[in-house]
Amino acid sequence: MIALESVSKRYGSKAIIHDVSFSVEKGEIVGFLGPNGAGKTTTMRMIAGFTTASSGRVSVAGYDMATQNDQAARKIGYLPEQPPLYDVLDVSAYLRFVAKAKGVPRASIPGDLDRVIQACKLEAVVKREIYKLSKGYRQRVGLAQALLGKPEVLLLDEPTAGLDPGQIQETREVIRAFGADHAVLLSTHILPEVTLICRRVAIINHGRLLAIDSPAGLQQASEQTNQVSLLVTGPADALREAVLSVDGVKSATVRKDASRGEMVAIDCQVEARDGVEAAIARAVAARWSLHRLERQQPTLENVFLRYINEAGADREAA
Amino acid sequence: MNGTLAVYQKELATYFRSPIAYFVIAVFLLGTGYFFIYNIFLTGIGTMDQTFQNMGILLITLMPVLTMRLFSGEYSGRTMELLVTLPLKPWQIVLGKYLGAVSILVLMTAATAINLVPLFLYGNPETTTILSGYLGFLLLGMACLAIGQFFSALTQNQIVAALITVPVLLGFWFIGHLQSFQATEFMRALFGYLSFSVQFGDFIRGLVRSEAAIFYLIVSAIALTLNTSYLQWRR
Repeated sequence: MIALESVSKRYGSKAIIHDVSFSVEKGEIVGFLGPNGAGKTTTMRMIAGFTTASSGRVSVAGYDMATQNDQAARKIGYLPEQPPLYDVLDVSAYLRFVAKAKGVPRASIPGDLDRVIQACKLEAVVKREIYKLSKGYRQRVGLAQALLGKPEVLLLDEPTAGLDPGQIQETREVIRAFGADHAVLLSTHILPEVTLICRRVAIINHGRLLAIDSPAGLQQASEQTNQVSLLVTGPADALREAVLSVDGVKSATVRKDASRGEMVAIDCQVEARDGVEAAIARAVAARWSLHRLERQQPTLENVFLRYINEAGADREAA
Repeated sequence: MNGTLAVYQKELATYFRSPIAYFVIAVFLLGTGYFFIYNIFLTGIGTMDQTFQNMGILLITLMPVLTMRLFSGEYSGRTMELLVTLPLKPWQIVLGKYLGAVSILVLMTAATAINLVPLFLYGNPETTTILSGYLGFLLLGMACLAIGQFFSALTQNQIVAALITVPVLLGFWFIGHLQSFQATEFMRALFGYLSFSVQFGDFIRGLVRSEAAIFYLIVSAIALTLNTSYLQWRR
């Protein structure tokens, strides 16, 4: 549904996007992760048809965006980072404008409007002028316009920004329901959002695609060695030595901030094989009171930060 | 066609929901009313010659206020991203907006008809001359709107758009006055041809020349075409 092949974008001599290739299939919700300035919005704008790629091919719903922009535009619902709202119009007039401009047949317009108004819970503000709406409502009107005309592809640039937790929940539900048989590309900073609704995640930084995989896949592929955390009652130095002496423990640090009273918290970096936690437990419990021992899994946040920092270090080295 | 209509309706709705359009219409009607009173009722001359000339100048200063938000407002309101990604061709956007502005022009021109009532009641005006004057006035307004809309597309700042448009329109208006300073016949004719006031002058005198009408339409067409090309280039 969305396919980018070796897409680059240059402004003058400066390259903003370097050779990015990925695709989003029907029925997929793909998350687009990256720090500010990474190139997410620029990439989305190319897919939406707001700008053209300097090189490479962008195709949406089978149409090449460079030559068949208008046909593709009918299949696309786009919510930019700043919802494109006409403040002086009321919600209904605004949505009617978008519906007409998208080519929704005149007879179907009222029905289509009702559909998106219900989906985005805008019943209460249908006749209100947009400049009077709260941020949450504005965001939902923006989403509603993207949903008009039943587009095959949905491009959402930070759709939950500025919403309160309840609204975020509702918005995610709308997106999830929509993603069932459409293609959705969702750019966001909020990592839990990605794990919750995205089938795959693309990580981008400095205009380059660093990784694209399912959240679980990314976490598994992470080279980050596992971490074991302990909470023990006993003298910190002796504890630390005891832990370090266990086979398979690479390092151990006492975390003063997590230590409570006489209880000491220790974080260990261990090799990624079975049995190490058990060995640590045996070594510690023999002489002191072990309260808690757990193996940490790499979170998506750690994976993400690792990619970003690695890429940053590579760039500096290069 | 649906697309152009959608843009047109949106522009019209936007004009009526913001104070600017009402301001322009009010100032225009007040000014025109004053010109009528001064030129005709006070002096007792039953022709609209001078009045039309005054209305022309008023038009030059007011049309930029009407057009300044047409594209500048889209840029600053961040709605350009919507307009461009909708299945609308650039010419549909340009034409829809233009027709919206022209509608306001027609509306306020029609409203000046109220001034004609006492003129016809107490005077003996030449109807065809007056009609011809109005026709020229509308064509003049259409050219001003097209130019103003084009400059609005060039900047994010509405004020800048208006401030660039006004001198350009004044230039078009007053270029005729430089005719007498030209050495060659060709230059005199050229300056005369390009002058909004000279072309309008014929309409005021009751002379409906197709060349003059075509002149205004060509100016409008050029401005609108430049506008469309610029939009395409931006993408």
